[in-house]
Amino acid sequence: MPGMPVVPGSRTTRSWLTAAVLVLCAALTGCSGSAETSGSSGKVVLRYTWWGNPDRAARTEQAIELFEKEHPDIEVQTSFSGYDSYKQKLATQAAGGDAPDVMQLDYRMIEQYASGGVLYDLGRQKSVLRTDEIDAGLLATGAVDGKQYAVPQGRGTEAVVYDAKTWRATGVPLPSGDWTWSEWADTMRTLAQKTGRPAATDPGQSEDAFEVWLRGQGKSLYTEDGKLGFTADDLTRWWTFTDELRREGTVSPAEQTTQLDGTVENTPLGRGKAIADINWDAPASGFVPLVGEGVTLAPMPSGEDGTPGQYFKPSMFMGVSADSGHPEEGALLIDFMLNDPGAAKILGATRSIPVNETLREETAGSLTDFDRTIHDFQTTLEGELNDPPQAPPSGDSALQTTFQRDYDQVSYERMSPREAAENYITEAKAELRS
Amino acid sequence: MTTATPAVRKPVAWRRVALHAGCLAALLVMLYPLAWLVATSLKPADEVIASLQLLPSRLEWSNYSTALDGVNDVSVGRLLTNSLLIAGGAVVGNVLSCSLAAYAFARLRFRFRGPLFAFMIATIMLPHHAVLIPQYIIFNQLGMVNTYWPLILPKFLATEAFFVFLIVQFMRGLPRELEEAARIDGCGPFRSFLLVILPLTRPALITTAIFTFIWTWNDFFTQLIYLFSPEKFTLTLALRAFVDASSQSSFGPMFAMSVIALLPIVLFFLAFQRFLVEGMASSGVKG
Amino acid sequence: MTTTQIPTAVRPKGVAPAHKPPRRRREGAAWVFLSPWVLGACVLTLLPMAVSLYLSFTDYDLFNPPSWVGLRNYTQMFTEDPRYWRSVVATLTYVAIAVPLQLGLALVVALALKGMKRGKGFYRSAFYAPSLLGASMSIALVWRAIFNDGGTVDNLFGTGGWVNKPGWALLAVALLTVWQFGAPMVIFLAGLQQIPGELYEAAEVDGAGRWRQFLSITVPMLSPVIFFNLVLQTIQAFQVFTPAFAVSAGKGGPADSTLFYTLYLYDRGFVASHMGYASAMAWVLLIVIGAVTALLFRTSRSWVFYASDTDGGAR
Repeated sequence: MPGMPVVPGSRTTRSWLTAAVLVLCAALTGCSGSAETSGSSGKVVLRYTWWGNPDRAARTEQAIELFEKEHPDIEVQTSFSGYDSYKQKLATQAAGGDAPDVMQLDYRMIEQYASGGVLYDLGRQKSVLRTDEIDAGLLATGAVDGKQYAVPQGRGTEAVVYDAKTWRATGVPLPSGDWTWSEWADTMRTLAQKTGRPAATDPGQSEDAFEVWLRGQGKSLYTEDGKLGFTADDLTRWWTFTDELRREGTVSPAEQTTQLDGTVENTPLGRGKAIADINWDAPASGFVPLVGEGVTLAPMPSGEDGTPGQYFKPSMFMGVSADSGHPEEGALLIDFMLNDPGAAKILGATRSIPVNETLREETAGSLTDFDRTIHDFQTTLEGELNDPPQAPPSGDSALQTTFQRDYDQVSYERMSPREAAENYITEAKAELRS
Repeated sequence: MTTATPAVRKPVAWRRVALHAGCLAALLVMLYPLAWLVATSLKPADEVIASLQLLPSRLEWSNYSTALDGVNDVSVGRLLTNSLLIAGGAVVGNVLSCSLAAYAFARLRFRFRGPLFAFMIATIMLPHHAVLIPQYIIFNQLGMVNTYWPLILPKFLATEAFFVFLIVQFMRGLPRELEEAARIDGCGPFRSFLLVILPLTRPALITTAIFTFIWTWNDFFTQLIYLFSPEKFTLTLALRAFVDASSQSSFGPMFAMSVIALLPIVLFFLAFQRFLVEGMASSGVKG
Repeated sequence: MTTTQIPTAVRPKGVAPAHKPPRRRREGAAWVFLSPWVLGACVLTLLPMAVSLYLSFTDYDLFNPPSWVGLRNYTQMFTEDPRYWRSVVATLTYVAIAVPLQLGLALVVALALKGMKRGKGFYRSAFYAPSLLGASMSIALVWRAIFNDGGTVDNLFGTGGWVNKPGWALLAVALLTVWQFGAPMVIFLAGLQQIPGELYEAAEVDGAGRWRQFLSITVPMLSPVIFFNLVLQTIQAFQVFTPAFAVSAGKGGPADSTLFYTLYLYDRGFVASHMGYASAMAWVLLIVIGAVTALLFRTSRSWVFYASDTDGGAR
């Protein structure tokens, strides 16, 4: 219920379940319900959670120490886990009315968490949370129905990741910048012929790659009002395109594609079975220890008329719980993570390239290794791309998996692209209606 | 009577050799994946997933030093202590509460015994994902989130019907004369439980203890949901922290951590499995 | 002593032997023993179960209050969701493969180890070792490596990879469960310990051979434990989650071939946020498992032997 006024500190929409439990179990209740909000020394205690790896954890801890030094009256308790576990943990906490004060959110969570009344409207804390240094189009991705429920922390974009060393050895010229999908396909075909094995990951399973392809034709995954932005014909064309590439051996066979689990280690490129992959720029750094220093980024193919399909996607958001007793302190923490030069120095590109434009330029010089590669890659795209779409509707996280599952039916040749596409459209419509 | 093999039969040598040969061959197959696990924990990053060779091309000990550094400023020692605390509490809880409930179901008569027993069995049939959120709300209301109570308290309340049922089956296998004899000696139900039935159910109790320890140790989801502060994390939770699909994963250290996390349960099993042999409840049931 | 064996429930009123404590006290004792279980069952089991039953009749997205939709989740499941039926087929196939294989292997190994004089502890530990691991992510990765194209199994048998072929992946997952047969094996061993050695001695004197002893002593005496393992492994097989979740990285692939029931339930509840639908799935599963278990209990009357029930002719 997006329009519902959210009173800070009160248990709002989700308290029904709590109430149901209480009624059923009157004997055992009356105990301390809400989490402790002040520490032993009378400090304000904020719980802050994010997902990531141990490196991000170490850097975040350091930044938090700095924050606590600057704000001695606030104590931040942090916690983190891997992305998949994080999603389930946060959903359980939020459903139980126990969401952490400050949380890291994905693009796909915003709509659901905002409309479910989990998130606090950060627009009410404009005095402490400065957003004027963030690109307006990027900032808007954290807004639902005109309310700023979350603020993006970094941005990423998709890329064709390739191993330049192996590529060069084939004698095929390296990608030179802009290319269209058919140029990309031709190049991959030549590579596959030269090496005698598939050159790239089959992009048919990826909803992200499909979105880039779709945007290259001036369409979008979802319409403004959260309906599907494409038809079964569009999807049939995409899957026919990738299916043909798969059949002729240009992209990976079903047996390899099905092993994708989101980690770079399990991509054909990471396994040393292909030369190129389509991936997000930040995780692409994981290819370096696997395939060596030759890892390079090329832009995503554009539409046949040159319309760019890729966009700067807000990679991680920060939001404050609607139930938090300390929304102002929460907003203060977000402001610190986004806008504080000291924090930016510590955090580097651990949550991808900073969104604060001044800080982005300031930190650019200190970036090393693959962070540098990502920064340079993003700089070449600056000003070339169209605005990102608004946050996807809440059904999208389920549809992402549905997309993969339906394409499995195509790549294992159990359905034609047309049948699978029509299946997907039916499932997607049902998902978005509910 | 130390073994069930009839003493009168002459041991046939070839038979024993064949038995051992068969067992060893089976073991070779069984332990191959474990060898793979240990070998992978020593592989360099580019071979962990991509290589289909058992042995690493060179030994990458840094996987272990990374794993031993712990996660997020929490040392491996701390993680280990936390895991031990939870698993230890769970063992005590399960053995106590499940044997109590099992005794009532197996040896005592009371109203609604049949329906209650059926209900107890039914509680294991509902997939736990469906009750995860209501349970979370209850523990949240009790102020127990981010403590070890949600992981230990249920064990003291015999919520794991698996073990109640297990001990019931063992207790029902004991002849009734045992309690009759005890009753004649003046034992009430409490004393005959403690002095007669419990000692004879030792194999089942040891089994309960071993399984509880191992399963609690490996239980990822419950620990994930209820523990918030990293200093309360367990080895099993820390293990997953090395893998994050959205950023860079460290599979090598994860494998190393898996091997480290395996050692305590191996030791626990080795220490307690002996009691399964020594239990020999049967020797007491001479009637 | 035979009169004291008659269960309280069937004893005619007023004929309780004088030396026995009054019935009320004995009943009271039972409730004392049961009290922790009753408390746990009411608060931690019954209550959440009641909530999930209610949710199964609602549309509930975890965040907004649930709205009552009557039987819609159930009708949708049975009539409009082909993926649901694929998950049913996958689960039944899995149960049919994994349960007999795992129990058979556990029983054979337990029997082989039972008579062993030397090395018993070693073998038991070694055979149990795989079960120590659970279905962790690392073992899933090992499994994927072994059953992949060019992996050990491919090299040995030339079958190609298993985990990446729709017809074979389920078998690879089932083998992961079978491989971890330690739990039923240890339970079988514990049960074998309880069989009084005198029974075998007596049979030996009567001239019964090994096979005869196995059929007339081991099987009946072990039957409560066999029954326990059968019921529990069947229930657990219907609920199989972790091995498939780990091996297929949560997707149940390839092409939905290992999308087991609870995996799909998890997917609906926590990935797609349709907790109402997931709850309905959970209750359908409960009813199906309940029916199967009830059937097993019914057949058990003809083949499971309880020492405590037969002494003194209580039944």
